[in-house]
Amino acid sequence: MSSKKIKNEEIRTASLLEKKSTRRNFLKGLSIAAAAGSAALTTGCIPAADAASTEELKLRWQEFFKKNYRLMTQEEKDATVARLERLSKLNANLDVQMGSYPPLDGVLYGYAFNITRCEGFMECVTACVKENNLDRKTNTQYIRIFEMEPGQLDPSTGDGQYYHEVPVDNKFYMGTQCFHCEKAPCTKACPTKATWKEPDGIVVVDYDWCIGCRYCQAACPYYGRRFNWGKPEIPKEEVTRRQHYLGNRIRPMGKMEKCTFCIQRTRKGRLPACVEACPTGARVFGNLLDPESEIRYVLKHKKVFRMKEELGTDPKFWYFID
Amino acid sequence: MTKLNYSCLFLLFFVGLSHSLGAASEKSVVDEIKNAEDRFDNRSVPLVEQVVDEAVLAKEEYQGGSFRVLARKAKIERYKCSSCHTDKPVTAQQGALLTHGDIILEHGSEDQGLSCIDCHHPQDRDYLEDKKGRKIDFDHSYQLCGQCHFRQKRDWLGGAHGKRVVNWAGERTVYNCTTCHNPHSPRFEKRFPATYSVELD
Repeated sequence: MSSKKIKNEEIRTASLLEKKSTRRNFLKGLSIAAAAGSAALTTGCIPAADAASTEELKLRWQEFFKKNYRLMTQEEKDATVARLERLSKLNANLDVQMGSYPPLDGVLYGYAFNITRCEGFMECVTACVKENNLDRKTNTQYIRIFEMEPGQLDPSTGDGQYYHEVPVDNKFYMGTQCFHCEKAPCTKACPTKATWKEPDGIVVVDYDWCIGCRYCQAACPYYGRRFNWGKPEIPKEEVTRRQHYLGNRIRPMGKMEKCTFCIQRTRKGRLPACVEACPTGARVFGNLLDPESEIRYVLKHKKVFRMKEELGTDPKFWYFID
Repeated sequence: MTKLNYSCLFLLFFVGLSHSLGAASEKSVVDEIKNAEDRFDNRSVPLVEQVVDEAVLAKEEYQGGSFRVLARKAKIERYKCSSCHTDKPVTAQQGALLTHGDIILEHGSEDQGLSCIDCHHPQDRDYLEDKKGRKIDFDHSYQLCGQCHFRQKRDWLGGAHGKRVVNWAGERTVYNCTTCHNPHSPRFEKRFPATYSVELD
């Protein structure tokens, strides 16, 4: 903050003290102090109360005291989404279309990964980064692909940082991401109930209720969660503007994030970005409750296994071989 | 004595209760999936994105009934083939180009690879031909490929090979064999990955 602004603040505070105290003035001062306090809570400094930032201040104030997403009515969800859209416009001059659409009835999402087919091209990773507005500076990725020795099935034995021509003969490739466990240990670890499993099986995070303690990251046996150490940096023209409150909206600093099966796409019937980008057809996605779906075909006719199944986390992500 | 009996009964009751509770918590999502046998209406899902690529109704069915495959003919640069392949002899300036000199044929086993007429119809060049002599449309090449690659075809019909286009819901439209594979050299070429990963924090 510039010294001039600080001086202005000092003058304002001083004039406030000198004024004759009436009930009206007292209440007015209180509200100014409260607004300043809320701004201080969210940003750590007091912004100048000029015309443009008054609106921002008001929106941030309302955002700060909103409920947990699960306790909101649809009107409240619409209101917070509208506020976040407006804030995005005010802060970054970005026109986003954010949604809070609910889960579909009779749908439980599931995923299958063909370890025979994956050839390690990693196009899923770039598609995911782009779709989900992941931080480019720290190279955050939800998906990891491991180059594995034959006979091994534990990704920790594989090479997750390869960069050479693929596929390498006599190696196979295994992708990991959030497995959206039915008995997700991460949701139990959260002290603020900011992460939970939706009725359609997607494990989500309310980024505004997350306090960034990273307990969930420690609880996840699959390394499925990522933490925002800084403010995400994304080139403006690359921002995916079609967003979901629980999905790919740009996360604030110090929040936990993870794969959401591209909730903003899948709840509208679309395939997740990784599935759409996969050049080898190694990724199968669909409704587990639909006996005619592709994912059910895989579970019924293929040799499938889940990672660390013995932990009892019941992941909805299967590996299979041809 | 009755007191002892009662306490025994009580104990049994608790043991039974805890057992049934334990069994309930052991229930896996797999059981839930196995029990889900009701048909789900895929078309009830409101779609935001439509399939824009041209697709045709497949001549076979998958477990959910009829489906569509991405069309091929529109993607073949010089289709119709019969515009050149006529009965008349051709004299051409750019012979190497027009006689498919650009095609690299790497299909079949190394010592005994396939030749053109193993798949293409020898007379009617606008079609393919399978080993039983049936004419096969370019848009329905899965009927031809499936002769040898029957396992892949079975998986493709079911949904374990290949993939759907754009949506998991709505009418099923899938990639054709030739959408992903170059029929003349179907194996994917080696290349560098699209990105790389850094160490997790």
